[in-house]
Amino acid sequence: MAFVLRALANGSDGVFIGGCWLGECHYVTEGNYDALSMMHLTRKVLELIGVNPGRLRLEWISGSEGMRYAEVMNDFGRQLKGFGPIGEGEGLDRTALKLKFLAVKKILPYLKLVERERLRVRFKTEEEYDNYFGSDEVNSLIRELVGEKLAISQITTLLATSPLSTREISDSLRIKPAEVSRHLNSAARQGLVRYDESQKRYAIA
Amino acid sequence: MSRIGVFICHCGENISRTVDVERVAAQVGNMPGVAFATDYKYMCSDPGQTLLKKTIQEQKLSHVVVAACSPRMHEKTFRKAVESAGLNPFLCEMANIREHCSWVHENREEATVKAIEIVGMMVERVKKNRVLPAITVPVTKRSLVIGGGIAGIQAALDIADCGHEVILVEREPSIGGHMAQLSETFPTLDCSQCIMTPKMVDVANHPKIKLYTFSEIELVEGYIGNFQVTIKKKARSVDEDTCTGCGVCMTKCPQKKIPNKFDQNIGMRTAIYVPFPQAVPNTPVIDRDNCTWFKSGKCGVCQKVCGPGAVDFEQQDRLIVEAVGAIVVATGFDLYTIDEKPKGSPIKGYGEFGHGKIPDVIDGMTFERLASASGPTGGRILRPSDGKEPKQIVFIQCIGSRAREKGISYCSKVCCMYTAKHTMLYHHKVHDGQAYVFFMDARTPGKSYDEFWRRSIEEEEAVYIRGMVSRLYQKGDKIVVMGSDIAVGVQVEIEADMVVLATAVMPQKGADTLAQKLGISYDKYHFYSEAHAKLRPVECATAGIYLAGACQGPKDIPETVSQASAAAAKVMTLFSKDKMEREPIVARVREAGCVGCFACKKVCAYGAVEEKEIRDRQGNLIKVVAYVNPGVCGGCGTCQATCPSKSVELDGYTDEQIVAMIEAL
Ligand SMILES: Cc1cc2nc3c(=O)[nH]c(=O)nc-3n(C[C@H](O)[C@H](O)[C@H](O)COP(=O)(O)OP(=O)(O)OC[C@H]3O[C@@H](n4cnc5c(N)ncnc54)[C@H](O)[C@@H]3O)c2cc1C
Ligand code: SF4
Ligand code: SF4
Repeated sequence: MAFVLRALANGSDGVFIGGCWLGECHYVTEGNYDALSMMHLTRKVLELIGVNPGRLRLEWISGSEGMRYAEVMNDFGRQLKGFGPIGEGEGLDRTALKLKFLAVKKILPYLKLVERERLRVRFKTEEEYDNYFGSDEVNSLIRELVGEKLAISQITTLLATSPLSTREISDSLRIKPAEVSRHLNSAARQGLVRYDESQKRYAIA
Repeated sequence: MSRIGVFICHCGENISRTVDVERVAAQVGNMPGVAFATDYKYMCSDPGQTLLKKTIQEQKLSHVVVAACSPRMHEKTFRKAVESAGLNPFLCEMANIREHCSWVHENREEATVKAIEIVGMMVERVKKNRVLPAITVPVTKRSLVIGGGIAGIQAALDIADCGHEVILVEREPSIGGHMAQLSETFPTLDCSQCIMTPKMVDVANHPKIKLYTFSEIELVEGYIGNFQVTIKKKARSVDEDTCTGCGVCMTKCPQKKIPNKFDQNIGMRTAIYVPFPQAVPNTPVIDRDNCTWFKSGKCGVCQKVCGPGAVDFEQQDRLIVEAVGAIVVATGFDLYTIDEKPKGSPIKGYGEFGHGKIPDVIDGMTFERLASASGPTGGRILRPSDGKEPKQIVFIQCIGSRAREKGISYCSKVCCMYTAKHTMLYHHKVHDGQAYVFFMDARTPGKSYDEFWRRSIEEEEAVYIRGMVSRLYQKGDKIVVMGSDIAVGVQVEIEADMVVLATAVMPQKGADTLAQKLGISYDKYHFYSEAHAKLRPVECATAGIYLAGACQGPKDIPETVSQASAAAAKVMTLFSKDKMEREPIVARVREAGCVGCFACKKVCAYGAVEEKEIRDRQGNLIKVVAYVNPGVCGGCGTCQATCPSKSVELDGYTDEQIVAMIEAL
């Protein structure tokens, strides 16, 4: 996940992961199943920071499927052109984008933990993974475990640059003002931010 | 400070046609850490490698990047060259600017810019490369051959004749495969049994060949030079060591009307049986689904009549583990079943041809059994329905093959030739009969093949009709075959006594399951894939596994035998050394960072992670950390992805190296 996010943060418009078909891993570990899980989680994270999750694509292409590789890459290329350059396509400027990825990077060890403790699953088919990660249960789990943590990480990362008002935070991060207030409250409770009366702004505690 | 040398290959024109290699060299030469950059027409050639070696010494290079083709093609070549110039081979990396760049782009400007970026990434990566010491592992000089058709038999004999032990595993009760079923063989018409059975007997008697029939591969572990294979030996219900092969049991078994698969179900066999009289081994097997004893607990006649007491109803499946250094896969083919439309499969049947419904519409393999002297009719061509001799016979080629709409677009390669053979066999046996052949093209590019095909028309008077059959139906005791002759442009209608369909050669059912056990790749039809279509046609991409015969694609016997001997030669090459070097791509633990959570130990499927105690000088335990045993590590990198403290890394693929590449982009 760290590699994918780093590439996107550095301005790549998309990241493609190619792997051997499920059940055909060269290693007994069958890491491609883990990769599939990780891809789903990473997409959720992208969605949470407002980046088009379609920018990450995983396809199974065996070593003997050169034609398929070419087709998939061309298709992905076309798809990415349709999305536009990263950030621009999402209505986020460079600084906001950088900041968002920085915020994710800060909580990466935590995400790893969530993945290992709560989302480590092993199914047989791709469809089962789709269903699992598409289920309400998993989505609310991710929102609960990752959503808030990520929002606060974004806010604190932003406030580290300068104190800001709720409105300003909402504008730069493109998070609804009501949600910003909610996250600010809990961040304040955790002692991460404080309200600076004199400036009428929030700042890092 | 690193002194990196970058060598950019033109690959003839393969790269230089779309990439301005000189500009790449000039730009890359200015990158920090790069001491030298040049381009050359063929880096992999002898002068190219000499240039590489000389420059390493003259320029005192610390690292090397070769920008050329895929590392799968030449990484070994260049690493070897670098090594001979005195540098550790793992300080050399390849930047793929052919497959990943010049071959897939047209715009010269864009391709050049991309090539510079690709090289730049590798320059940054190579700076982080460490000297990796070679790991040598012993080679187990025994080999496994899977499948006992002519391919497997030939490979096994060749390897065993060189003095190395072979484990030959065959799924059926006897070895022989499809070739044992054939009557006579093109292009010489020698009797298949006559040339096949001596080889089968050689296998049985060879002191270096251990034969497991009625057995399947359960599990494959390990890697080149060191595989552990678990073989499931299915219960035969007859003890192989005790049985003398006298055959009394088969004469007494009351279940006599079981269709014999070996005879394409037109001949019958008993419940205790050998598939054919020349079977190797000659030990019968009890077909438990059809045996009265297994169905109702009564009978047991075979047990009573068996003199040496070999029949054992209690026998169980057994699992046997064998250690081998190389594997030859020779599992052969299967035939397209015309009326079957497997669920979810893109392959469609030819229900309209009435195979399975009209008894006298048979496939080519069934014709082989009819024509075979040891077959159910003793070599007479007789209709399955009423045992009459067909006077008008129609052969239809390309059933399933070359029919994209039916799901198969390849040519089965052997049907043109065996149909020509069938017309001859027919004419030799039914002198007053007439054979017709519907065909799309005649493909006969083999030594003496076209001459053979012509003989079918010129001497054996077969009538060849270019065109496909549109409909076929039973009328009285005739089969009406309607089709078009596209050469003349007329509709033809033939009242035939028998129809023979040349069905497509397909991979074995379950070929994919075996491939998954072996970790080898296959194409969309499930034929196994060779490492390189032209230059490595018998090797799998997975090291230590080789291919022989029709499991890799449709093949006739001469081709199958050549490939089998080639695979054996590859095995012998591997066995010519006592030890082999193994890529030192293994995981290593940074003990200072390791917190001893052993998350890595939990995920390592190879069982390579051990616990190691760290003690101070007084012998007091400081902490327990993970240790990766390099002999066992498979190099998959799962531990690296799992470690929460980033303390375990895969040599050659460290986070540092990969991050350097991403940052360079
Ligand atoms: C109708 C017909 C006529 C033909 N006539 C001619 C001819 O005249 N001349 C000619 O040159 N060629 C002819 N051929 C082609 C010839 O049959 C093949 O070239 C040859 O049989 C291929 O040999 P093989 O060993 O690769 O495969 P096979 O003969 O299919 O042998 C494969 C063996 O592997 C075993 N096996 C499969 N899966 C497993 C598994 N998972 N585990 C263990 N064992 C397994 C099978 O039981 C079988 O014994 C003809 C083909 C057909 C269909
Ligand atoms: S099982 Fe007994 S009776 Fe049957 S062939 Fe073997 S020895 Fe003869
Ligand atoms: S790289 Fe794979 S095989 Fe090696 S120790 Fe790590 S998990 Fe085990």
